[in-house]
Amino acid sequence: MKAKIFASIAVVITGAILLYAVIDFPDFGDPGSPPNAGVPGGAPAASRYYIQNTYRDSKVPNLVTAVLADYRGYDTMFETVVILTAGISIFAILRVVRRDDDPSAPEPVASDRTIDGDHHRIIVGITCRIAAPLIQIFALYVVAHGHYSPGGGFQGGVMLGASFILLALSGSLRETLARFSERDYTRLAFVGILIYAGLGLLPMWVGRNFLDYGALSGLFMTKGEEMARSHSMLGVEIGVAITVMSIMFAMFANLSTRGRLQGGL
Amino acid sequence: MIVTILSILLIVTGLVFFLGAAVGLMRFPDFYCRMHAAGKGDTLSSLLVVSGFALYQLNDIRDFPSDWPVLLVILKLLAVVTFIYLTSPTSTSALADAGWEDGIDPVIEPGHENHLEDDCRKPPVSSPQP
Repeated sequence: MKAKIFASIAVVITGAILLYAVIDFPDFGDPGSPPNAGVPGGAPAASRYYIQNTYRDSKVPNLVTAVLADYRGYDTMFETVVILTAGISIFAILRVVRRDDDPSAPEPVASDRTIDGDHHRIIVGITCRIAAPLIQIFALYVVAHGHYSPGGGFQGGVMLGASFILLALSGSLRETLARFSERDYTRLAFVGILIYAGLGLLPMWVGRNFLDYGALSGLFMTKGEEMARSHSMLGVEIGVAITVMSIMFAMFANLSTRGRLQGGL
Repeated sequence: MIVTILSILLIVTGLVFFLGAAVGLMRFPDFYCRMHAAGKGDTLSSLLVVSGFALYQLNDIRDFPSDWPVLLVILKLLAVVTFIYLTSPTSTSALADAGWEDGIDPVIEPGHENHLEDDCRKPPVSSPQP
């Protein structure tokens, strides 16, 4: 009960601070706001700059991805860290490790009204087994095509995570965890961030700024800096996708079993 | 021309089935009948409508070898058809299963027996097979 009161106080205070911050936002579509009208001092408007120069700078047709992964890569890196933090909090709050938990114990039966035999398990199981690899291939396409068409690391990562959740829902969580274990997804969540931050650190090796992908043209063996930026965006998206995928599945596994990683839905 | 007429025919048939599914969803008495209407009507109508779209795309091929990208669109639409064909009935089956396991009883008219009960009620499981 006490914990609930403290949690409510924390939630209310955080909500009040967030609401207070919203007041400072410019109105939606306000022509005088900095992104629309340009910053005081005569610099060109930010959005106009992106629209006019993205393709010249990085040969990426999808402006949204270019802004997200290149011009504002620092922002997106910490967005990914936010997702990682969410996963860590779920782990910290929910995960229960008990010594008396027997991993080979039979799974609890939810209801006595199970359909006779395993017929329904066969229908759902086979379809999901057919669908899961196709979903994963499509997710990889969404990740890899993020800078040419709508998509990118977050969307593709969510789809990859959803394919594992589908397997866990249709079969059993234990089988899925045998293939994608807690150790795996925890490591992968950090590996994704490391890929992103590592790609950002590499330019500093040659004396450029953090996340200044143009410096990587030697590494990617491209002619100009534009294609290096394009390739780095792909690398960054892959890092984001790996983190999002792992955290999605970690959230499902912990939430659906109350942190026990046993039984499940 | 004939392709357009055929595709319109497919789409309109699909819309009729959609209407049937919607009416069934509103009017049928219990969960299982509604799943029946929603599952079957929705699957067939989606298949028909998307196939109609795929057929209509054939109109865009005026000069074959140079207009080949249209075939990619048709291929993608057919892939959507295949996915709906696979996944929609499966989800219907899974939902009906879940309803039964959750304890929803079908509406039975007086004088009829609940065969689902005889077929599906399992003796309580003491130790499930691994």
